[in-house]
Amino acid sequence: MVHDAQMDYYGTRLATCSSDRTVKIFDVKNGGQILVADLRGHEGPVWQVAWAHPMFGNILASCSYDRKVIIWKEENGAWDKMYEYCGHESSVNSVCWGPYDFGLILACGSSDGAISLLTFTGDQQWDVKKISNAHTIGCNAVSWAPAVVPGSLIDQPSGQKPNYIKRFVSGGCDNLVKLWKEEDGQWKEDQKLEAHSDWVRDVGWAPSIGLPTSTIASCSQDGRVFIWTCDDPAGNTWTAKLLHKFSDVVWHVSWSITGNILAVSGGDNKVAYTL
Amino acid sequence: MEELDVEPAITNIPAASDGKHLGFAWGPGDILAYETLYMAPGMCAKGSGCSFIHEVRKDEDIYSPILRKLFNESHHIFVGLQTIREDLPSKNKKTQFVSISKNYRSVIRACMEELQQVAASVLVLQVSILLAIELIWNLCEVLFIDAAPAGPLLLHLLDWVRLHKGDVDEKAREVLQSESPAEHHDYWDVVVSYVLQGRFEEARQMLVKQATLQPAARNMYKLMDTLLSKMPFYNPGGTQTLTEFDVKWRHWHEEVDRCLQDNSFASNQHLEIICKILVGDEDTLLEHKELLSTWYHFLVTRLLFCHPTVKPTELHYYAQSCMTMFLDLRSVPEPLDSILLAAFEFDIHQVIKDCSIALNNWWFVAHLTDLLDHCKLLQSHNLHFGSNLREFLLLEYASGLFTHHSLWQLAVDYFDNCPEFGHVYLELQIERVPLDTERKALKVLRICEQRQMSEQVRSICKIMAMRALRNNRLGSALSWSIRAKDAAFATLISERFLQDYCARGTFSDLDLIDNLGPAMLLSDRLTFLVKYREFHKLYEENRFSEAAKLLLSLITAKIAPRSFWMTLLTDALPLLEQKEVSHSAHCALHCGFGHDLCFSGRVQLGEAELKDNSGTK
Repeated sequence: MVHDAQMDYYGTRLATCSSDRTVKIFDVKNGGQILVADLRGHEGPVWQVAWAHPMFGNILASCSYDRKVIIWKEENGAWDKMYEYCGHESSVNSVCWGPYDFGLILACGSSDGAISLLTFTGDQQWDVKKISNAHTIGCNAVSWAPAVVPGSLIDQPSGQKPNYIKRFVSGGCDNLVKLWKEEDGQWKEDQKLEAHSDWVRDVGWAPSIGLPTSTIASCSQDGRVFIWTCDDPAGNTWTAKLLHKFSDVVWHVSWSITGNILAVSGGDNKVAYTL
Repeated sequence: MEELDVEPAITNIPAASDGKHLGFAWGPGDILAYETLYMAPGMCAKGSGCSFIHEVRKDEDIYSPILRKLFNESHHIFVGLQTIREDLPSKNKKTQFVSISKNYRSVIRACMEELQQVAASVLVLQVSILLAIELIWNLCEVLFIDAAPAGPLLLHLLDWVRLHKGDVDEKAREVLQSESPAEHHDYWDVVVSYVLQGRFEEARQMLVKQATLQPAARNMYKLMDTLLSKMPFYNPGGTQTLTEFDVKWRHWHEEVDRCLQDNSFASNQHLEIICKILVGDEDTLLEHKELLSTWYHFLVTRLLFCHPTVKPTELHYYAQSCMTMFLDLRSVPEPLDSILLAAFEFDIHQVIKDCSIALNNWWFVAHLTDLLDHCKLLQSHNLHFGSNLREFLLLEYASGLFTHHSLWQLAVDYFDNCPEFGHVYLELQIERVPLDTERKALKVLRICEQRQMSEQVRSICKIMAMRALRNNRLGSALSWSIRAKDAAFATLISERFLQDYCARGTFSDLDLIDNLGPAMLLSDRLTFLVKYREFHKLYEENRFSEAAKLLLSLITAKIAPRSFWMTLLTDALPLLEQKEVSHSAHCALHCGFGHDLCFSGRVQLGEAELKDNSGTK
């Protein structure tokens, strides 16, 4: 049973993961389907895969019921384990790479309630930061905010690293959607968004089209999909709007590249909304 | 669009087992759908489940090779349209807009003709879609862009109908080529069709053939010929006013009516029918539904014979009633019918909306709306995101193009002409263009550089640099990282160069390193690499004193990596033996070494060597 499938940045490769514990990579250029790699390393069903930005090479992250997060890298045409993270005490449910502006940084949400942030520091070293008890009972989904520089209208002098504010959103079994912000190298809970009456299954931060607003979609076991918007650039006041209530649990939300269509999966149908 | 009052089309995913939930993921241009473990409550799994992944693509049209021409040529017209100056007087602009509209239409027609020649069954649908598009566009041109007033309006509508009812000429050709045209079974159909379309010259020529066959009815035919020749047609370029024309037309109409009342044509069924048509008898017209074939043909014909001075604002009333009269009570109006009706009602927004829903490719609505917007015919219609209708459609169309391996370049121009979100859409989309070759990467890069998209420039250069590095093409990796102004990466690559040198004793990519110029200042390590190579060059050219000075400056500037100190030391030794090295340089080298290396563990060896040399001084 396939649990997740993700296209790479260019739509030329497809990564899938399944309850048979494998991660498979296919070359799908020109409508073809060639199995390129069969990655074994997990000891339980693999829940999600995520492609890193191509500037870091061909890198794929996978997370599994076996409590592990594995980062795979393609070197000289062959795929191999680049890093294995075993810091969670329970199934890891979701992985999401941050915007490339932050470097190579992976957020992982787990059923042990914690969220880990793995940052590649070079030379096969990864720095680990853990947010314990992010969501009581468990965290089901993580999604990064697009990289936005405060006062980004002003040109940054080249060569200097701009001061990004790293933010991401998470959804958990405590029915909450939480926003996290990094301040002085520490991750802090920034916002707590309450609207769902059952486990939050997925969250998605919409891509930025240059407007000062931020938009987040969340979906839940309660069959509801909410759209959260924040109009002030400081990110303090969030308003929820119910997009739709489905008759069944909603598993997955996903934004198109330009953020004008939200795809929602659940119930009997696949539904896409234009916003 | 905020309101969604029409149910969106459902796309079925085949082979998905009942009751299983579908998961999916976005690709750059399509959606992947796959079956998951999850099920709706109360259902049990049927069968072992499907392990396939389905790719759902929104728009197949961009992959059609014939339609490619449509996209390319309309792109050309689009770009030209954007450059029309705002300050031209409106009359000149109108002529230009009409001409541009005709250009678009001729591109559609050319495409249609090509498709028809291919004659594959799968393309029949494509041809009929293009036919419908051209029909709608033509009507929009007549009503909105040309905006003909009463008088010319009917003439344009007549042209419109004639253009889209090509089978009359075909039939006529068949009849005329037969042995005895007047006895051909389609003869009268052709004559009546000509009359219905207001083509009286041709109708008269056809009737002559019949007249010669029936000398006894000569007078009747003469009378018909006279009536047909005397029907007034409004001349827009002439001096006659609309009112004068109207008066003339009414006289003629009364004359025809008199003939009918007099039973002048009673003995000839066909001529009687034609006379009734000329007088505008609705029942007679409706009896010829097959020849008219569409309600809008019926509409124009009815107007021709009942109300040739129809005003634009009166059209919708006639359109609605004609459609009702013509269509069966049982038949449901098709999308095309509603679109045309909306056009006759001058409801531009409804036309655009209905077309957007009916068609699966944004090409038509995007280009038409853009043109209408230039004609200042669109009221500002506030959509979500605050962008206007024109921009929304252009963005959608261009985004669709972006998934195509070569059409994406056209999309860039469209984004450029969307002032509000074009730039950011381009930024988001252009990063997804696969950089298969260096040439393609350079193309994409040029586009980004021209638009000051510095983020994307950096990202692309970084990707190319990494790729080159992985393939051990150090020179290429270095140029890319310099172009990206990526100091850290340049440092990394310089280290690799230096490592290579230590391993093999030679430098690679000398051309590049020797000609970097000020770019070498990007990173310390890079500067060291260039200068170090320069040192080697000077040495090879026997310019020892300069070489020594350079080496000294490298040491004292402290940009040499620690790992390299030993190498530098080894390089310095032969210099110390050279007599050309000036005395001061000699001393300086000694001192330099002494100062910098006394904290290094390798000082033993250095001092030993120095002692040796100073002994010979």
